[in-house]
Amino acid sequence: MNYRSMVLVSGDPRSMERGAREVYNQFQREINALGLENEVSLSWVQDVGRSDAIPLAVVYPEATIYGPLKPEDVHTIVEEHLYKGRVAPGLQAPVRELSGHIAWISARKGTLPAEQRIILKRAGLIDPTSIEDYIADDGYQALANILTDMQPKAVIDQLKASGLRGRGGAGFPTGLKWQFVAGTPAEKKYVICNADESEPGTFKDRVLIEGDPHAIVEAMAIAGFAVGADEGYFYVRGEYLLAQKRLRLAIEQAEEMGLLGEDILGSGFSFKLHVHSGAGAYICGEETALIESLEGKRGEPRARPPYPTTNGLWGKPTLVNNVETLANIPPIMLNGADWYRGFGTAKSPGTKVCTILGNVNVTGLIEVPMGITLREIIAIYGKGMANGAHFKMAQTGGSSGSVIPSTLQDTPMDFESYQENGVSLGSGALLICDENNCAVDLAIVLMNFFRKESCGKCNPCRIGTERAYQILKNIAEGVGTTQDLEDLKFLSKNLIELSNCGLGTTAGTPLENILQYFMPEVEAHIKLKVCPTGVCPMSGRKAYPETKLAQLEEA
Amino acid sequence: MVNITIDGKEIQVLEGTTVLRAAEQADIHIPTLCDHPALTPFGGCRLCLVDVKGARTLQTSCTLPVTENMVVSTDNERIREARKFVLTLLFSERNHFCPYCQVSGGDCELQNAAYEQDMTHWPLQPNWKTFDVDASHEYFILEQSRCILCRRCVRACSELSGNFTLGVEERGADSSIVADLGVPLGESTCISCGSCVQVCPTGALIDKKSAYLGHDVELDKTETICVGCSLGCGIEVYSRDNHIVRIEGNWDAAVNHGVLCKAGRYEPLDAENWDRVYTPMLRKDGKLKAATWDDAIKTIADQLKKSSKTAAMASTRLPAESLYLFKEIFGDKLHASTVTSIEEGMNTRLTSQLAAELGSPFEGDVVEVDKADCVLVLGTDLTEDHQVAGFFIKRNMPHGTKVIMAGCGENAISEIADVVLEPKAENYGELLQALSAALANKPFAALAKAAGVDEAAMKEAARILAAANFPAIVYGEDLLKKNSLNTLKALVELGHLSGTIGEQRNALVSVKGKANSMAAAQYGLDQAMDISDEQAVFIALGDDCPSQKLIKNLEKAPFVAVQASYISQLTANADVVLPVTNWAEQKGSYLSADGKLQAAVSSLTAPEGVLSNAAALDKLAAALGFDLDAAGWKDELLKQIPAVVIAE
Repeated sequence: MNYRSMVLVSGDPRSMERGAREVYNQFQREINALGLENEVSLSWVQDVGRSDAIPLAVVYPEATIYGPLKPEDVHTIVEEHLYKGRVAPGLQAPVRELSGHIAWISARKGTLPAEQRIILKRAGLIDPTSIEDYIADDGYQALANILTDMQPKAVIDQLKASGLRGRGGAGFPTGLKWQFVAGTPAEKKYVICNADESEPGTFKDRVLIEGDPHAIVEAMAIAGFAVGADEGYFYVRGEYLLAQKRLRLAIEQAEEMGLLGEDILGSGFSFKLHVHSGAGAYICGEETALIESLEGKRGEPRARPPYPTTNGLWGKPTLVNNVETLANIPPIMLNGADWYRGFGTAKSPGTKVCTILGNVNVTGLIEVPMGITLREIIAIYGKGMANGAHFKMAQTGGSSGSVIPSTLQDTPMDFESYQENGVSLGSGALLICDENNCAVDLAIVLMNFFRKESCGKCNPCRIGTERAYQILKNIAEGVGTTQDLEDLKFLSKNLIELSNCGLGTTAGTPLENILQYFMPEVEAHIKLKVCPTGVCPMSGRKAYPETKLAQLEEA
Repeated sequence: MVNITIDGKEIQVLEGTTVLRAAEQADIHIPTLCDHPALTPFGGCRLCLVDVKGARTLQTSCTLPVTENMVVSTDNERIREARKFVLTLLFSERNHFCPYCQVSGGDCELQNAAYEQDMTHWPLQPNWKTFDVDASHEYFILEQSRCILCRRCVRACSELSGNFTLGVEERGADSSIVADLGVPLGESTCISCGSCVQVCPTGALIDKKSAYLGHDVELDKTETICVGCSLGCGIEVYSRDNHIVRIEGNWDAAVNHGVLCKAGRYEPLDAENWDRVYTPMLRKDGKLKAATWDDAIKTIADQLKKSSKTAAMASTRLPAESLYLFKEIFGDKLHASTVTSIEEGMNTRLTSQLAAELGSPFEGDVVEVDKADCVLVLGTDLTEDHQVAGFFIKRNMPHGTKVIMAGCGENAISEIADVVLEPKAENYGELLQALSAALANKPFAALAKAAGVDEAAMKEAARILAAANFPAIVYGEDLLKKNSLNTLKALVELGHLSGTIGEQRNALVSVKGKANSMAAAQYGLDQAMDISDEQAVFIALGDDCPSQKLIKNLEKAPFVAVQASYISQLTANADVVLPVTNWAEQKGSYLSADGKLQAAVSSLTAPEGVLSNAAALDKLAAALGFDLDAAGWKDELLKQIPAVVIAE
């Protein structure tokens, strides 16, 4: 059925407490009363992040948000908005853009100047619990085309031609990874979707799954077909209950329709999917640790080689892809590699989904073409720095990224350009910091995260993060020495070089960036016993005589 | 074969070899900490980093498999810096204040590695945090301060002993070694096999007994075999000043490959606290008094000569040479009415009988159990006795080895076994027949009922056995309790049917009493003892413990002579006591349950006046005027068709 409009009513527990059920029922009655039931779809939506305006209703395609609503308000909305087609006056929620939740992504293409949507196309637009909605919007068409017309090799060739690179952080060419798995002869192979999104401040994968679960399910089936796997796992972060529920439902629906299971669409290809809940370990986002965890062991990265592409889950060739990477598959397969290359840059085609947070006016989730600059993102999507402050630095990728100084604000955000400048794109969180933030403090926060999340298997990471954290703490307390700078360099260099997995490597990166770009600030902490931004406690200052401090400050 | 170049040396190694092992083959030393040859590679310590041509970063040689034409450098400035970094971090992680550590000064692999890298200090601050010491265990101490989290102990616990007691709790810098879910070691499921202590590279796990008794270079090391049970595990005895300091598993041993159980590693050390018999003793006026060897031997010889009915029993812990002398004296020459072993050997009596009937051995090598993908255990508790065979089973279960337990009681293996069958009234014969029938897709309900075993469980057991490519069967004494040759025949039939006994391999294994039960059987020393109106009884007890039954049986005997190492109720009741060596002081041959003829070497010198079992028997033979052929022990051992092929 083709609906003209769609109404989503917030159904989170707090909205329910405040009468969302009555509002929903009232919508149902009013819509039926006007005979609009075939034109307007009504469904529940989970937490929309606007506790100031619940219970609320979002009306698509305009993405108008009404709230807080009482049953008696519904009549006006239905009559004015759904019947007469104009926004109901006085009932809209206070304007606050891009909170980062599904319902707040403006649905119209091109709302924002640089916005191009590939993978967030449907999130927030269709009912994620309805396979029919997905199918109506070209869903499962890519899978159907592939199963009827294409050979696995052709699928992989098309993927390679598209130039898609892994969105989990490392940026490995996805087509190549698929080729490796496809090229390993084995009776049993697995496909794993890494949805253990644990970077602080990222929620792109959650939005993708919650908003468009079938796209990922379809992508998994395509991946399974291409690499020769007949079984797949979703490893979903434990806290993502809704995402897990949506995936389970999507799998169930797809199985019912014969889009998963035995002999899909009569092609002879069978594919089974499972959903596995993580248990709260950041390290399990690392693919080999994820595999260990799936096998029921302690989540610790394996030694590589051998790589999962040859020795993965239960020792079988295994393809592990990030949610966002997979979300790109159906559009690429449907529209072709050339179409995909129309987005982004030559070497990093496509878009990137990022969360934008920190000292900007608007925070939330954005899909931007690769190659956009940080300055553009802050100006266009972030609507500028908050409180008119100046940009000082940005942290990419939640924790496992780099600290980007203002000098790199105009560097295109793609894998190559960032790599050339010795920084990395990370997995999709942009923490924007203004001049009131201290680089040492940021380093402490990051290092604290890494030392707590290191699995403890390899010495450089287990001990290196701990030692670096203690040294940084000393610096922040004003008891740092110049030897500490040497030690930090020694630690960061070797953390990056000698760690067993990406966690240790990325733990060294921000440290290295800060020592490279913010050395004067760090030195001020050590030599002058002063935190220029006033953020660090410098509580150890009392260890120094006043005369010495005065002397230092004068110098 | 793969061609690789390490430090300019071109070598060929087998595919799948790691760079570390390849370097060892080329006599190139790479420092390691978390690596241990008996354990799976871990790659955690990062000390074994090497430079591989074409690789962006340094690679851990312990985990890196060789590839064709790989060019490896094991020593350059970059590598040396990396190694120093790793060691610096390790020293700064916990309280590595060497002077206070018992392994410091040669036995600590961390300290040795640091010396090797010419380290004199570490540039980072030491860690002033305190860490727990767990001294709750009977035999060893876990000192977290010295731990470098290499996980050797954790891997040994799971991969060698299959006990899965040790693990790691928390993560990152908070990681620590933990028993079970965080209980003190002494209260944990630890079975005191001590493998963790043996593999620990630092002073984190130290033996209570041997701590501070000397570095390895100051100790004498003797390679010998364990006489704790019939498996014949290889051990290394570390001793100093004629005292055993500790016992370790011999990594090169054919049976155990370094693994030992509590009975092999720790219990022999307890014997040092037992009271020894230091001098021959004679009962005079109702009291045992010290005597000379000549007097004691003469008394025994006189009694034996005039006795019309004599019984002689030997411990199956004695070396084969001594057992042979014993058999010659009392059987061939003296024709005593009873000549047997103190364990009576009902089990071997039946297996010997069947071997004679079949005309060939029908049992296989116990090592097959370690390679099996399905093990059927019958009538023996492998968590109590012959524990190493139990390790072979438990440690392979995570890799998919299926386990069927029949009549083994409740123990740690049956808890996790795939199928547990408990026959009623020890109806093993019916159980085996039912299993054979089920395996052959014949009706088995009646037989299962007769065995008192659930039909569905029997079916599942047969399904597992049928699906196995390399099944193994281990059986113990309980299986033949009913003294039934038919049960044994049913077992052999099942062995053939299930593929346990085949052309290429024979994985039907029995565990047999004590260290030399098999040799005793070959000498015919496995008859039932029947002591009623004996006038003289001679017991060659050695260092064995007499059973209550034996002590009771001999209470009424008019004359009892015992040759023993330790004072016991039996020696207290005896009329003559001869002091003899214990297992560590004597040498000799042992025939293991699966037919391995191994030599035990003496690691200690016997106290003055204490003779070996063989020497004591020689003296007795001389007094009796017998001329013995001591060299004939080996021929005699092979004369009777054994249940298992004898191999040296």
